[in-house]
Amino acid sequence: MKAHVLGEFAREHALLDAARALRARGHASLDIHSPYPLHGADEALGLKRSTVPLVALVGGVTGAVTGYLLQFYVAAVAWPLNVGNRPPHSAPAFIPVTFELGVLFSALAIFFGLLGGYFGFPRTHHPVFEVEEFRSASIDALWLSAEVDGKDAEPLAQELRRLGARHVSIVPEAT
Amino acid sequence: MSTAEKTIEEAQALEGAPVLVGRPDDRALTEGLLAPVLEPTRKGFVLLLFALLGGVGFWLISLGATLFVGIGAWGNNIPVAWAYDITNFVWWIGIGHAGTLISAILLLFQQKWRTSINRFAEAMTLFAVAMAGIYPIIHLGRPWLFWWLIPYPSTNQIWPNFKSALPWDVFAISTYGTVSLLFWYLGLIPDLATLRDAAKSRTRRVVYGIMSFGWRGSARHWHHYRVGYLLLAGLSTPLVVSVHTIVSFDFAISQLPGWHTTIFPPYFVAGAIFSGFAMVMTLMIPARRVLGFKHVVTERHLDNMAKVILATGLMVSYGYVMEHFMAWYSGSGYEAFAFLNRWTGPYAPIWYMQLFCNVLAPQVFWFPSMRRNEVALFVVSILVNIGMWAERFVIIAVSLTRDFVPSSWAMYSPTWVDWGLLFGSISTFGLLFLLFLRFLPAIPVFEVKELRRELEHHGPGVHFQSPADAPGAHIEDPEEAT
Repeated sequence: MKAHVLGEFAREHALLDAARALRARGHASLDIHSPYPLHGADEALGLKRSTVPLVALVGGVTGAVTGYLLQFYVAAVAWPLNVGNRPPHSAPAFIPVTFELGVLFSALAIFFGLLGGYFGFPRTHHPVFEVEEFRSASIDALWLSAEVDGKDAEPLAQELRRLGARHVSIVPEAT
Repeated sequence: MSTAEKTIEEAQALEGAPVLVGRPDDRALTEGLLAPVLEPTRKGFVLLLFALLGGVGFWLISLGATLFVGIGAWGNNIPVAWAYDITNFVWWIGIGHAGTLISAILLLFQQKWRTSINRFAEAMTLFAVAMAGIYPIIHLGRPWLFWWLIPYPSTNQIWPNFKSALPWDVFAISTYGTVSLLFWYLGLIPDLATLRDAAKSRTRRVVYGIMSFGWRGSARHWHHYRVGYLLLAGLSTPLVVSVHTIVSFDFAISQLPGWHTTIFPPYFVAGAIFSGFAMVMTLMIPARRVLGFKHVVTERHLDNMAKVILATGLMVSYGYVMEHFMAWYSGSGYEAFAFLNRWTGPYAPIWYMQLFCNVLAPQVFWFPSMRRNEVALFVVSILVNIGMWAERFVIIAVSLTRDFVPSSWAMYSPTWVDWGLLFGSISTFGLLFLLFLRFLPAIPVFEVKELRRELEHHGPGVHFQSPADAPGAHIEDPEEAT
């Protein structure tokens, strides 16, 4: 059985030191919860460079290509209108919509990629929410969490207390 | 006040008012900023709500008249086929631009003062774009067929003409509305989670819990979140410029004297930012007073916004001068007449009002005392709003009343439906904004917390102790313990 161990810290560097110490001891599932983006958290958890820009690029290119091909098909193939004898396929006139669709697809890719892909949202039932004190994680406190095997939970809780956590809780995963 | 705190105040005195007054701790900051949402309903809110609902009623009646009677309910005619409707459209979409400028462009420029007003300005953008989007649709004549604007393989076998500026508008406005909504909501998610955690009632916890999708402030999420947010800002920056550029193409690409001008794209974008900042000011001055945001929206913010209004006002004035120069320099008698008509024609009073509101009124902001005087700021912001509406009316409708052939000239006068659509949309915008202030965090709480830390750590030459580091405030640090 898995369990989540949570510890609340008051000071940024105590939390970051604790995260580094635990990671050095091989805890891979560590996470930090803070009310604002915490400087140094990425490094303490050993997070790799975000791949979101790639998602944005793929979205943007898809949108722009879709936009251009759509206009090409509509204006040059499906419904060629002769307006002032301009060519049916007039690239300069297609730029605005190509640009707009590029931006639109890129923004949609970023937003839904973040929420659905990177964050796994919606997920309002995460085990950390079982702890009432965890409410402070979005207000004024910093929390460290780790997912471990049930038997390792108690030793990790001890360790967190030793590293300076004030509230320490263990949430057994519902089976 | 500790020595460190005193030094920081002194250092800030050198560079004007601070962007954040005092150093409240995170809990006090959260409670203060969320108070308008969490505290019991005030009497003033209810009164304002009913007053605005009256205006919304007027708007709905005018919309109803438009739907049942048709465009004939308006004062529009031929040649003045575009009048209040398109004026309102351009005015509202322009107002929206300041929100994106504050939230995206100033973010990329790392302007710290944007932090506390960005949510507010983005909400304004969203509601302004919603108002703007209605006019082109009801102007279609048969608005229930609005989906013909979207290219899809229909049984009519007819497609939109992408060589016209009007289908570009459809894509620009819908993209702008969608991206503004996504950007605003992405910024809201951490604050909705804060609301969920700070709320006392179960209903609020459940509703804000669902709205925040289960945000748990995870560093693994913040890691991607910050990159995504910055990328959205980067995308919004060219987008906002493209949107008003495309709106200006609706006019600039045509042949009509007064519309047919290459300066329109930059001139429209500057005007958009000008009117948008004025609207942010109009809304912010009463809101910061009533909701107790004076410590996060300080004199510094008002001062900076006034400077932006002055700068963009000068750009708009340059646009006016250049339009006249080109009318003369082009050697086209029709162009010259269109501009002479502004000074001496039947609509000249509106032109003079425009000059007074957009060119003269902002000049008071050369005086630093005026940039901090709430009354002066409020009055000028209202004047600029009026002036920019007048500018769009003069460009759109007045140009149409006098085109090439005198036999096709006609006068334009609005009907009660036109007025209802204008004032009703202002009320509806106000209502949406009021509800936003009541139910959502108007100041980005997490960003202000971040700003507070930045000011502490990278403040003007001062290393300030955070309250969490104050002696005896909290538990021992393992390093010190050993």
